[in-house]
Amino acid sequence: MRFSYIVPRKKTVLSSEVILLLTFFSITFLMLFFTYVFILFKDYQFTSTKKELAIKKEQLNKNIDSMKSKILFIEKQQALSERIYTKNIVLKDSIKNMFDLVPDRIVLSQVHLLENGLIFYGVTPTKDVYNFMLNAPLKSIFHRTYTSFYPTKGGWLNFVSKNYIDVDLIESANEEDVDDES
Amino acid sequence: MMKVSITRPYVYLLILSVVLFISVLIIAFALLIPKGKDYRLDKASLRGIKIEQNRVQVFNDKTYKNLKNLQSKNRAIITAFSTKFNAKRFEKQNSKFFEKFVLGEKQVVTNEYESFDVYEVNASSKIDSPKSFYNFLEAINKGDWIVSVEFPIIFKREAKLIHSSFKIKVYSNSKNKIINKELNSTK
Repeated sequence: MRFSYIVPRKKTVLSSEVILLLTFFSITFLMLFFTYVFILFKDYQFTSTKKELAIKKEQLNKNIDSMKSKILFIEKQQALSERIYTKNIVLKDSIKNMFDLVPDRIVLSQVHLLENGLIFYGVTPTKDVYNFMLNAPLKSIFHRTYTSFYPTKGGWLNFVSKNYIDVDLIESANEEDVDDES
Repeated sequence: MMKVSITRPYVYLLILSVVLFISVLIIAFALLIPKGKDYRLDKASLRGIKIEQNRVQVFNDKTYKNLKNLQSKNRAIITAFSTKFNAKRFEKQNSKFFEKFVLGEKQVVTNEYESFDVYEVNASSKIDSPKSFYNFLEAINKGDWIVSVEFPIIFKREAKLIHSSFKIKVYSNSKNKIINKELNSTK
């Protein structure tokens, strides 16, 4: 009978080569899996960031619209107030000019300042004084001037002077100026 | 001829290697590469969105700064438009310019300007010289309300004084506008 001195190696399903191969591929699969999970996570992160940014952008746009309307309103207030302030100052200057216009020799009893006109009630020593000292400047300012006189007991003359500016005439003159310039 | 002999376990090993390799290829091409492409595109689009967001944010900050500037520059005007007209206070503030100053009833409202309510008040006063009236016209521009003096203005001599009667218009924010509420809330 012959005997062998070689110990037979154990036979297993997973040989060392197979284990090596499986280890290599397991590592490869794990790497692929982790890469895939990483990409999925990033994808989720991007989506949520995009949503957050979209909401934030919408809020910002709303905020901008609201601020713009506030700015517009303040600008309207500013424009209107400036117009009113200017109007008051112009009015002050007009009244001042009007009183400066009246000579010392003529005494006014009533003044009506109208939108496009001016009415004086007063007394003058003579018609000439009135015509030279008040009527002449009034005629240069107003388009239409009507005056009526009636005597007082003291020998002076009461007068009523009605003076009007024709806005239509001014507008048409302005239009002509514009036409000439163009 | 040389004979190559491959044992059966090696054939199995080879087949397993090929199968696993093909699986790796399939996973890579079917899943990872398309997802990776999407990832790159998403990253680029997010960068674009962030740039746009930044632009909107900068514009928002600029508009806010602009608004705050306007509000601080025009604080007096904004307050004047939103202050309710008080005839007694107006009389008290301006009585120093007149010997006598009386305001009539407040009459609503001409719809002269969109977004603003306009009230008309008749006023009658007595002054000792026209200078008082000029001072009054200067003072109302610095007052608590936006007020304009309207035609007709009538001056009448009464002994040593001048009786004047005129109409004033008071401008305030329209109550119908929602924007006014917002405006007041941001002051």
